[in-house]
Amino acid sequence: MKIAVCVKHAVDEAELRLDTEGRPVLAGAAGKMSTFDKNAVEEGLRLKSAHQGEVVVFVVGAAESKKTLKEALAMGADRGVFVAADPLVIDALRTASMLAAAIRRSGPYDVVICSEGSSDTYTGQVPPMLGELLGVAYVGYARKIEVTGGSARVERSLEDSVEAVETSVPFAVSVVSEINEPRYPTLVQIMQASKKPIEELNGGEIAPPGTISGVEVVSMSSQPSTRKHVMIEGGPDEAAAKLLDALSREGVLK
Amino acid sequence: MSGDVWVYSESEGVSAEVASAAQDVARGASAEVRVVDIGSPRQGIRGSGVRLLLKGPSGPDVSPAVAAEALARAAKDLSPVAVLLGATRDGREAASRLAAKLGVGCMAEVVKLASDGQGVTGERNVYAGKVVAKTRCQFPAVVTVKTGAYPRAEALPERTQEVEVGQVSDRSKVVGREKKAAGGVDLRSAKVIVSAGRGVKKREDLSMLEDLAVTMHGALGCSRPLSADLGWLPEEHHIGLTGVTVKPDLYLAIGISGQLQHVAGMKDSKIVASINTDKDAPIFQASDYCIVGDLYQVVPALRRALSARR
Ligand SMILES: Cc1cc2nc3c(=O)[nH]c(=O)nc-3n(C[C@H](O)[C@H](O)[C@H](O)COP(=O)(O)OP(=O)(O)OC[C@H]3O[C@@H](n4cnc5c(N)ncnc54)[C@H](O)[C@@H]3O)c2cc1C
Ligand SMILES: Cc1cc2nc3c(=O)[nH]c(=O)nc-3n(C[C@H](O)[C@H](O)[C@H](O)COP(=O)(O)OP(=O)(O)OC[C@H]3O[C@@H](n4cnc5c(N)ncnc54)[C@H](O)[C@@H]3O)c2cc1C
Repeated sequence: MKIAVCVKHAVDEAELRLDTEGRPVLAGAAGKMSTFDKNAVEEGLRLKSAHQGEVVVFVVGAAESKKTLKEALAMGADRGVFVAADPLVIDALRTASMLAAAIRRSGPYDVVICSEGSSDTYTGQVPPMLGELLGVAYVGYARKIEVTGGSARVERSLEDSVEAVETSVPFAVSVVSEINEPRYPTLVQIMQASKKPIEELNGGEIAPPGTISGVEVVSMSSQPSTRKHVMIEGGPDEAAAKLLDALSREGVLK
Repeated sequence: MSGDVWVYSESEGVSAEVASAAQDVARGASAEVRVVDIGSPRQGIRGSGVRLLLKGPSGPDVSPAVAAEALARAAKDLSPVAVLLGATRDGREAASRLAAKLGVGCMAEVVKLASDGQGVTGERNVYAGKVVAKTRCQFPAVVTVKTGAYPRAEALPERTQEVEVGQVSDRSKVVGREKKAAGGVDLRSAKVIVSAGRGVKKREDLSMLEDLAVTMHGALGCSRPLSADLGWLPEEHHIGLTGVTVKPDLYLAIGISGQLQHVAGMKDSKIVASINTDKDAPIFQASDYCIVGDLYQVVPALRRALSARR
């Protein structure tokens, strides 16, 4: 089974600094593998161990993104494909078209795995767009994937229900975090990862931009918290009474 | 361009929210709002003068793949300036597929919309909610509207326009569906929300918080791990970046650490109070009233104090 896994090198939100005007300092900001992409890699590795084959990881982004590819290789992926593009100017549809082009070049794949959404800009759009652009079946928010021969059964985790879906190989899928527990690479695996091959492609070349302008980011800002931060002292009963008094004064208790 | 702004969600409640958001776009674009039904008309969707019924797809459920194909076919004929969908799990998929089919941009997770007549502008949370970004897309555009960000639209007189889009098939087939743990509360309209986090040790203990919520005429919400990882409550109860946005008069966070992704979904609450054993928990930075204490002592104390006052 040939398995493609898409991993994003996301801005590490915990490390992200704001300038004096409250704008994020993105130049040189620390990055990391998008949180749920670890689940996507893990699922790819699990499918490989059940069906044999190969796991190829793809990233679209700036040169630093190769760090995330290496992390996926350390987890156990076989090889990586790096697609160079400026992550701050491409929207989800452009990203998906670059991924689709890269996947087509090294494909065909039986399964293409993404996570439900990235930890930095969370649009959740790249996976379904990728399914459309590749012209394969797509199933979103998977919490369980079973492939048997040419067909697959996927459990989708929706807001109020779990839906079982049957689809056929090849297909694309996005996974939710509860699907598995991602493994941690060992030191040896991290060292071996540096020997695994990474192919380098240019996004603008493999997927030339069309005429559409797409989504642009106009500005970014942050508002400082304006909460009162009143610490309520005392034992449980005293604190409870004081809190209810305060909430009554605020007019929010019915 | 016919200049209409279309609204679609597989959920009727969310559809009414998206209809409110659509009015903000329609105003700036001198356009009209059209609420779309696919396959068969639905009852109770309010908020639009003219309803658009896309005929062709049959069957009880309209999957996101079918919705996107039906919308794309109709959009090619009728050229709406914007198609707005609810940012539910199925809605994100339908919107993304639609944008890919039409080759247009898709603005994600918008909490506030406007139009300058040439395109759509929106505001959304990024970087775990640390930052608010303004995004823009030229007409024609696809947009997903964050659930809970807009109130449901008021009822308006309705007339239905039918559009034939033909049969639409899906490569995947739904073969089963199971409801998640009991839900039924509407967090978006609740004035008081009692919200449970991992500080709650056992599933059974949730009833203590639910009881408090009922006493306060409120609803029970939760952090993502309680629904996604532990499955103690349905996903629709989870508040935050990947869940619902809420703006109650009172948000009472109990045993919630207050990670950015959670705060992003409740930061516009009028008053926030929180109970946490850790005096340095980030939730206190996002709170008006803070109790450093054990929820297993403070919640029963609150319950007693409330009974005594009534
Ligand atoms: C502030 C800000 C706001 C933005 N808003 C929008 C918007 O509203 N609409 C829009 O179209 N674009 C938007 N973008 C652009 C978008 O972030 C990029 O296109 C990005 O490459 C895709 O990230 P995502 O969050 O959309 O991914 P998601 O669709 O949330 O990611 C889901 C999965 O797709 C895969 N994937 C996503 N990106 C990559 C990648 N670069 N390489 C490999 N795999 C990947 C991963 O498996 C990932 O887990 C915005 C960017 C910024 C900085
Ligand atoms: C891409 C992405 C999106 C996410 N989206 C969301 C989202 O939309 N919503 C969301 O909620 N999370 C989201 N998360 C997860 C988020 O980062 C946090 O992991 C989560 O909010 C933590 O939940 P918690 O506060 O319940 O648990 P914890 O962080 O484990 O906190 C438990 C708290 O309970 C306190 N506590 C323990 N015992 C007691 C006691 N006896 N009495 C009182 N207090 C006690 C502890 O001090 C601690 O502060 C997202 C994460 C990612 C990566």
